[in-house]
Amino acid sequence: MKLTLEQERYFAYTAARRIEPDQDTVVFVHGAAMNHSVWINQSRYFAYHGYNVLAIDLPGHGQSGGNPMDSIERYARWLNDLMSQGHGRRHHVVGHSMGALICLEAAGTRPEQAPPLASLSLVGFSFPMAVSPDLMDAARNRPGEAHAMMTQWSHASPIGGEPNPGFWSAGNQYRLMESSHPGTVFTDLTACNTYHGAPDALENITCPILFVSGIQDRMAPCKLAQRTAETQSGAEITLLPECGHNLMSESPDGVRDALVRFISKHP
Amino acid sequence: MPQPTRTRFDTLALHAGQVPDPKTGARAVPIYQTASYVFRDSEHAASLFNMERPGHAYSRLSNPTVSVLEERVAALEEGVGGIATASGQAALHLAVATLMDGGSHIVSSSAVYGGSHNLLQYTLPRFGITTTFVSPRDIDAIRAAIRPQTRMIFGEVLGNPGNDILNLPVVAELAHEHGIPLVIDSTFTTPYLIRPFDHGTDIIMHSATKFLCGHGTVIGGVLVDNGRFNWEQSGKFPTLSEPYEGFHQMSFDEESSTGAFLLRARREGLRDFGACMSPTTAFYVLQGLETLSIRMDRHVSNTRKVIEFLHRQDAVEEISYPELPEHPDYHLAQSLLPKGAGAVFSFTLQGGREAGKAFVESLRIFSHLANVGDAKSLVIHPASTTHYRMSEADLLKAGINPGTIRLSIGLEDPDDLLEDLSRAIHRSRKAAG
Repeated sequence: MKLTLEQERYFAYTAARRIEPDQDTVVFVHGAAMNHSVWINQSRYFAYHGYNVLAIDLPGHGQSGGNPMDSIERYARWLNDLMSQGHGRRHHVVGHSMGALICLEAAGTRPEQAPPLASLSLVGFSFPMAVSPDLMDAARNRPGEAHAMMTQWSHASPIGGEPNPGFWSAGNQYRLMESSHPGTVFTDLTACNTYHGAPDALENITCPILFVSGIQDRMAPCKLAQRTAETQSGAEITLLPECGHNLMSESPDGVRDALVRFISKHP
Repeated sequence: MPQPTRTRFDTLALHAGQVPDPKTGARAVPIYQTASYVFRDSEHAASLFNMERPGHAYSRLSNPTVSVLEERVAALEEGVGGIATASGQAALHLAVATLMDGGSHIVSSSAVYGGSHNLLQYTLPRFGITTTFVSPRDIDAIRAAIRPQTRMIFGEVLGNPGNDILNLPVVAELAHEHGIPLVIDSTFTTPYLIRPFDHGTDIIMHSATKFLCGHGTVIGGVLVDNGRFNWEQSGKFPTLSEPYEGFHQMSFDEESSTGAFLLRARREGLRDFGACMSPTTAFYVLQGLETLSIRMDRHVSNTRKVIEFLHRQDAVEEISYPELPEHPDYHLAQSLLPKGAGAVFSFTLQGGREAGKAFVESLRIFSHLANVGDAKSLVIHPASTTHYRMSEADLLKAGINPGTIRLSIGLEDPDDLLEDLSRAIHRSRKAAG
């Protein structure tokens, strides 16, 4: 569906279902230079199991208008503005990688007029989310090389074994990034690299938090997620074996099952 | 060009898409010879059928052995995914049926495989889909043939049987200017000799029966999607960009911006037309893929020796092999096919039909049959077999002379092949008087 904010149109995948105002909504936020379709193995399930789904394309990504933003705080303000429009009874917010930082910051600064935040799930999260100088340089000057580096570092296995019949996950991720607008990967990685607001955001969050990490994640090492989870009273963490940063694709059932277990605990 | 994986071609050919079976440790890809799969519960079943979770529900839609092949070919072609079919023809039909409806139009190279020509020329018009055939070398004619209803340009990297090379980058640009995809049959070249996606192609089809399998043992096909074509932006492909009543109003390009074509082809095309690949067939093709680069190198080196031999023969009038400087596409071959221009080519013997017949019947190592891309060397007379339905005019348009002989060079000792050819040429000269 198309959502309008300040005269710009943004896209959100709903699994072709209406948003029911009396149902909770699961909001999915993708990572750097990606789009909503990274959640293909998780979002559709929720849409057919009693939830509304909004798997959004961030500004300047996928089918959304606008431009990519160079800070997590700006993305978070945009997300909060969008969420303040309603779209369901309460929100369960799920973010991956850069999307996890955006969701975290947005949760910590969530405006009162937005529906209640029922839960926050951070997939492939790390703080800090430092980006190597080599990757930043490639992202600025040779984006194709940056897409390739991120694709290679995002997969635990170099040979695939994709649970989705027929798909080649590395090729799919690379093509998704390649299809992003020029400059997107650099802008997004800049946003990740310069974000320092996680501790403040975490202090302000009162809803339950779930961390889901791949044990072999080289982009956002799971140890960093574990360290953050340990500082948060009541936070849960699920570690997925044989899984890297592209864990929604490498372990679709693992991610979905973790989200279902967690979200359904907070009706 | 940056690659999505650092894993190299030969390693992908052996490993891509497979992790050793977790329960048995089986190293080879197991043949999951099963029609169906046990559901954990009703909810699991429903979510599989509704694409809420990945997995296998019924082998017409997907099968674990076949999936390894699909992923492996996609990895070798550097696409986003693949879909295996019962034959190469089933693959072409699936591509057409997924992309268009009655009233649609195709622009095709005139130098395509006879079976493809039959489908496009005679069968699809019954369903309202028409094709304009044009010379693959005539870019202006290709441009002129495109209509508002055109939904794809189709051709082969190496045309059949004259080895006309389609100028992929130029034709791809032309297709994209008109908001339509370039669909390429890369059967003769395989991903080892060329990756058509590097040259702008949007969808690749293979007859896996040929070099991918490589041993003449099974019939199969594969489609691979590049994932780059923007179906929504084109506005010409409602099957991919508008809600589909047959699958819960799914808009496939909303579901996956890169995999829309593959999703529809599987969820509608395999579901409804049912031309899926069997797991045993997939196993044989996987076995072939493991040695693809080694075989293709040998196919090409043997071919070069045979070409060199034939080139010296007075009885040989013409050889259609793009590595020969006199071939019209020599420079294109140097640019697009530096590893070799394949192992299938045709030549014309002096003496016409009688000489050709005597030649074919005198060969002892070459097998006279309707196939190419086998480990064994093959020979055929196209005008009387694969292209026999075509009129004389269409034959000539496709570059086929009544005396044309087509060879598919195998992996035998090249000296034995040369001796066999030498003997047959001698007999053909006698027959021609």
